Amino acid sequence: MVQQAHHTHLPMLFFMAWRNLWRNPIRSLLTISALAGGLVMIILYAGFLEGMNRQMQRHATENSTGHLQLQRQAFIDDRDLYATLPWPYLNALEHRFPTLHFAPRLYAAGLASSDASATGVMIQAVDPQREARVTRILDHIRQGTLNLAPATPTSAGLTRFNVIVGHQLARNMNLTIGSELILVTQAADGSIGNALFRVAAILKPLEPNFDRSGVLMSIEAFQSLMYLDNGFHELAIRLDNPDQLAQIQTTLRSHLLQIGTIQPLDALGGKPVIRNWRELNPAVADMLELSRSMMLFVGLIVVSLASMGMLNTMLMAVHERTHEFGILLAIGMQRRILLLMVLLESFFLALVSALLGSLLGSLLTGYLEDRGIDLSNYMPDGYDWAGMVFEPVMEVYLLPHHILQACLLMLVITLLTALIPAWRMVRLKPAEVMR
Amino acid sequence: MALLALDGIGKCYRQGEIEVQALQDINLQVEAGEFAALVGPSGSGKTTLLNIIGGLDSPTAGCARLNDTDITQLNDRALANFRLFQLGFIFQAYNLVPVLSALENVELIMVLQGRSADERRERARHYLSLVGLEDIMHRRPSALSGGQQQRVAVARALAAGPRLVLADEPTANLDSENATALLDIMHRLSHEEQTTFIFSTHDPRVMERAERIITLRDGRIVSDQERELPHEAEL
Repeated sequence: MVQQAHHTHLPMLFFMAWRNLWRNPIRSLLTISALAGGLVMIILYAGFLEGMNRQMQRHATENSTGHLQLQRQAFIDDRDLYATLPWPYLNALEHRFPTLHFAPRLYAAGLASSDASATGVMIQAVDPQREARVTRILDHIRQGTLNLAPATPTSAGLTRFNVIVGHQLARNMNLTIGSELILVTQAADGSIGNALFRVAAILKPLEPNFDRSGVLMSIEAFQSLMYLDNGFHELAIRLDNPDQLAQIQTTLRSHLLQIGTIQPLDALGGKPVIRNWRELNPAVADMLELSRSMMLFVGLIVVSLASMGMLNTMLMAVHERTHEFGILLAIGMQRRILLLMVLLESFFLALVSALLGSLLGSLLTGYLEDRGIDLSNYMPDGYDWAGMVFEPVMEVYLLPHHILQACLLMLVITLLTALIPAWRMVRLKPAEVMR
Repeated sequence: MALLALDGIGKCYRQGEIEVQALQDINLQVEAGEFAALVGPSGSGKTTLLNIIGGLDSPTAGCARLNDTDITQLNDRALANFRLFQLGFIFQAYNLVPVLSALENVELIMVLQGRSADERRERARHYLSLVGLEDIMHRRPSALSGGQQQRVAVARALAAGPRLVLADEPTANLDSENATALLDIMHRLSHEEQTTFIFSTHDPRVMERAERIITLRDGRIVSDQERELPHEAEL
């Protein structure tokens, strides 16, 4: 007796499965269209989600946070005005890490009053040149000009500095470009610090808290207002290559220990702490994780729905060919070989759909990647989602591994779906179906 | 020793409340090389008996042996192997795989047997030429007439090298000319290949070609006649 060698079956099974696929071309093409359409939707959805994620990440890093931030523990815990890092720390870090970008900041709370009203504000002092290398907060000017330098004195000879205010604060206090603003605060020396400022610019919506109460000024103006010139509260850091985040964070941490031995910090302010943007914005980091799960979830739903079409096709195909399968079993084909043949048909159906769907999905997503979806006519200031303000141009990114994952997801689900008709078929009794 | 031995085969179907005795106490021995016809009216049990011999159905009584293998004791997988290597089937409705050409249809069963590509291609061509289809072996079944399709089925059954070929009403869908031609081919190949044929029929033209006629009625063998046929050249 000739021994069965199952590996010799495969080319014939591939051949038969491929030809069987085209026995009813219209039905197969309709099924392929449904599956490929589903795949296009998933790829497009993944592209949008990736665009949103990147915007979210950019929002988290570029608008104000930076990739890393250095603060002292007491500042983190209590916004302690005195928990500053000495200016030599900035010089030492800039000297040691010439490829990183550093932006020192100072913060204080105060009361702002104008001709029309008064309200509590959050004062943030920045170095415009350094800040521009780390974040894009100063790019978001809606009205006025970027100018944090001393303004011309008043007619009464009072000195004043330029400030930039959040758009909601400007609206609430009826501030326009050139408006005068008086800030009153408790200075570092315990005195009541107060000064006159000129509104040089109004920012676009950035982040709800800052929009409502943010006042940006120069470090020089802050020092003059707060009598606090021995250091800075926060150092925002930007990396040219964000992929090195963890490594740089570790290196910076160890280098800070070295600086600390040269210039020890006072005990009250606590140790310096360096955190990355994920630690600083855990909600954003969680949302990014969530969006990845969402992609899988939505992908599963879309592919499962499209697979119903394939299930119908395969059930029909198996039903129509019951007699033929009975014959194949009668002449001695093993049930598992028959099962393999039916699964191969489903596999080919899914494969053709995957190729077509990924081609169309890539073309469409690639087109949108180049152009984005411009909503600026409808939402000139962008749109607010989950507490973040997004730019009015929706971005789409095509990532090869998203396409691969979507294809694999579709292949797995369609093959699982194909088990139903295949299982019905392998339980056939040849004598009954040929009767 | 007989190639095929049926001993007390019985088959009982249940249709709702009614029990139908399709076969009763069938005892039969068929020697190697025989060209035998199972005849009888519709419902006499011809197809059921062929199915039991072919391992497609199981008897409710008795045993069936082919080459000393008790078919009734084989499990599903062993039965599939048994059919693949020991039996050839020719069905009434041709039953070729529509997506394969005549040549590929004949090759298919040898693929399942695990024969090499060269061997199965050579055997498929050989048997298709024996049934007179060498010129149209690349056509698909839809491009062949009924008679041609049934000849492909004969080539498919024989190319696998079976001990026994079972044919269930092989000429039922053929006109007189094609039926006669097919029977002549089967008879000739039976002698040339030393292959045993058992075919069911109620067609008198087919019965004329049989060397042994086993008559069934109501599930029982009522007669079993052997006769000498003129040699093919004299037909």
